[in-house]
Amino acid sequence: MTTLQPGSSGGLTRELPKPRLGPWIARRIPLLLFLAALAYLVLLPLVRLQALAFEDDFRGFRVAYSAAGMAKTIWNTVGLALGSLVIAMIFGTLLAWWASQLSPRMRWLRALPVLPIVIPAVANVSGWAFLLSPRPGYLNALLRMLPWWSNLDTGPVEVYSLLWIVLITGFSLTAFIYLFVSTGLQNINSEIIEASRVSGASALETFFRITLPLLRPVMLYGGGVALLLGLGQFTAPLLLGTNTGVRVMTTDMYTAVTSAPTDFATAAAVGTPLLVFGMLLVMVQRLLLGDQARFVTHGGKAFRLAGKPSATAALGIIVFAVITTGFPMVSLLILSLSSYWSPRVSISRMTLDNFQQIFRESGIVSAVTNSITVSLMAVCISLLIGFIVACVLVRGQRVPILRTLLDIIVAMPLGVPAVIFGAGFLFAYSRPPVVLYGSWWVLVVVYVTLMLPFTTRMQLSGMLALGKSYMEASRVSGAGFVKTELFITLPLMRSTLGGAAALMFVLLTHEFTASVLVRSPHNQVMGTVLFDYWGNGSYPLVAAIAITMTLVTALGVLMAMLIGGRDVLNKL
Amino acid sequence: MSHVTIEGLSKKYGGNPPATAVDNLSLQIEEGEFLVLLGPSGCGKTTTLRCLAGLEVPDSGRIAFGGKSVFDAAHGIDLAPDKRSIGMVFQSYALWPHMTVRKNVEYPLKVRGLKQGLTENWVEETVKLVDCERLLDRYPAQLSGGQQQRVALARGLVARPQLVLFDEPLSNLDARLRDLVRSQLHELHARLGFTAVFVTHDQTEALALGDRLAIMRSGVIEQLDTAQRVFEQPATEYVAGFIGMNNRLVLEHSEGGWTCDGVAAQGNIPELAGAPRWMAARLRIEDLMVGPANEGAPADAVSFSATVVDAAFAGRQYDVVVTVGNTRFQGRAPSDGPLARNGQLVAGAPAQVWFRPSNAVFYGQQGERIASQG
Repeated sequence: MTTLQPGSSGGLTRELPKPRLGPWIARRIPLLLFLAALAYLVLLPLVRLQALAFEDDFRGFRVAYSAAGMAKTIWNTVGLALGSLVIAMIFGTLLAWWASQLSPRMRWLRALPVLPIVIPAVANVSGWAFLLSPRPGYLNALLRMLPWWSNLDTGPVEVYSLLWIVLITGFSLTAFIYLFVSTGLQNINSEIIEASRVSGASALETFFRITLPLLRPVMLYGGGVALLLGLGQFTAPLLLGTNTGVRVMTTDMYTAVTSAPTDFATAAAVGTPLLVFGMLLVMVQRLLLGDQARFVTHGGKAFRLAGKPSATAALGIIVFAVITTGFPMVSLLILSLSSYWSPRVSISRMTLDNFQQIFRESGIVSAVTNSITVSLMAVCISLLIGFIVACVLVRGQRVPILRTLLDIIVAMPLGVPAVIFGAGFLFAYSRPPVVLYGSWWVLVVVYVTLMLPFTTRMQLSGMLALGKSYMEASRVSGAGFVKTELFITLPLMRSTLGGAAALMFVLLTHEFTASVLVRSPHNQVMGTVLFDYWGNGSYPLVAAIAITMTLVTALGVLMAMLIGGRDVLNKL
Repeated sequence: MSHVTIEGLSKKYGGNPPATAVDNLSLQIEEGEFLVLLGPSGCGKTTTLRCLAGLEVPDSGRIAFGGKSVFDAAHGIDLAPDKRSIGMVFQSYALWPHMTVRKNVEYPLKVRGLKQGLTENWVEETVKLVDCERLLDRYPAQLSGGQQQRVALARGLVARPQLVLFDEPLSNLDARLRDLVRSQLHELHARLGFTAVFVTHDQTEALALGDRLAIMRSGVIEQLDTAQRVFEQPATEYVAGFIGMNNRLVLEHSEGGWTCDGVAAQGNIPELAGAPRWMAARLRIEDLMVGPANEGAPADAVSFSATVVDAAFAGRQYDVVVTVGNTRFQGRAPSDGPLARNGQLVAGAPAQVWFRPSNAVFYGQQGERIASQG
């Protein structure tokens, strides 16, 4: 007999036993340990460093903020952040719009605006210096040949100035905005655009009335990221601003930590506002974005060209790439082939001596191998951690609190300027309980921490794109959790994992900011030796190292494209 | 044996306010039975199915397969999906794109360690059943929707599970293919005799496949009965509406007799239990006939004068929209009837609608069914 038995079962009236805390914790011990380890990794350096600033009755703050020139430093920092943000927003959006207007044969141009992310920042910045240094800069020399500047001995452009630091930073941040807006454009259903066109709006009108409003969320998000990067910008101010006294907060921190007597408390106090602002921004973004699972999208026609392809677009992208990436690269190439830096370039006297020399100097060779091995180690560890975190974030409905904590901790390094991490790690790992300073493990630990948001984001989006049903199908087919991850998730994620690995390798091989703080004399990476030679004034060698760095990175990019497909850079 | 028992199953989803997906649901499924959970989206049918699979954790209640608890909130039992001996067919098929059809179908045998199944060629056998033996070495992306659907079916059946769960498996197919796969599934069930729970929002599908139907609304079963009885005697007005009785005539009794939206009824409305003064009659479209004003209604019918709003040709008959008072109804007029022949199926034309009370089901104010007297 089969009947419907509303409420007649005994199971309902039975009293539910009280939740038992013991087993609850026991089942979650592995996850709790994992969370604790990550929290230790991310929070410890920050907490220990920040605690210093409050010691001795706020001595750090008093020293830092009563120093002469601090007001100027703060203004410079804010100016750099806002100025480069404006430049990046304008050019990034414009480039993304242009990229969507390309004819199919010109599609490859879409990769060009991403190059500034891929090219090592130290290489790019030093390239600009070689172009626009007042006296020997190649471009300045060319400009002086123009009739109205022919009377000048130096200039007309002064690259060692706040204006040019802002411009160069802005150009490199453009790549980030470009990536965000491009992705946003691709997520707009093309029929929405077409509906506007057939309703009688022109292409331009459609852009301003439909496309731009739809892009608001990505622009806010991308703008937030760019603002953070601008505030924490270090490479350009350090290389270009030090000699002319253009100081920002990050370079002040660096000076406090690296010049004798080292003063971590002051450095920490200088970093506090950056840290607080970064944390706030990340929190707000988390709140605004909410549950990641909501962003699983299905189908929809991708953004398609409305109207005919534009030649202006192709030209615009090429010109921008040539000026912002091509120029500095060419100047590096010329200098790396010259025996000394002079505005008079002679092709006949070009030589490979510099490259031969960097491969003779054991310091440089070991820095190159160091860079590669440390990056590879960090990539492997990051991939594993990212996979676990992404798994918990996607499937951890039963552990909502742990999941949220995990989400916050892995997102944190995005909000913390790398300088603060560098200083924090230097301080935390150069004294007990764990002394890593002097070994290359400290670099691995810093790199893994810096990569947490990237590895998690990339793998998370890969998993979200897969959806739940493949894994559920495996579970109901009789496979347990581990078998499912092994036989189904991992193989399906192969290209995501490969792409993530290669991209992280690229980002790490040209990491400079944190590395320059935690390095020790016998424990260098490519960026830091370049900086040392920059300090010595051995400019042709600097150029040769920069070119080598770029080549190593290019190798990584090639790997990324081979494994992850041609659009792999968009996954950043 | 695979007598599925669900007792007092409840599931809430967090959020503000929390949504109750399944509310104190109890249900028993016989071995070899094909049970259909039918309801609109959001009625809790998929949640119920996913609780059976172990993909969702209910808040309270008990689920047992063959007398053995797989979930019991009171005793803290919650068997993982892979420990439940089930097969499942997903709406999106969820065939793993990196495996061939053979690997996909083989998977449940491999991960369950069913050596017997591997040596006795259960894979080939099952694939033959669903007519896909020539597709074994292809990848899912190379298959059409219907083929993918049949492979998914094979994967769900290959390990000969106690219970096969279907989560709207036909809804991604186009109409013609849907009918075909539906009849194949029906045949397959008759041949293999597995126990099945099938979730759908399509009443035709439900009626065709189900031994019994459970019509759900807001997490509660409104009616659980054989397909025939659900079709003939919907227990509540909600079920009637869902099962295709789309015409709702609100009838009110006053001094002069029964009226519908102020229009007097001609003919006899049967005496019902409790002699109600108000009731709603539910009628299928094909049971409401449209004819010329004041003529042609059979003696045993109830009729109202009406006005034509629109008529659409549908082969043997016209689908006609009419108003009685201000209420719109859908009815039918034969293509060779007087209205059609005389060109009177035009907007504003006077007409009459009639139905046989034996085709109508009557409900009270709370949606409860009112039985006819005697």
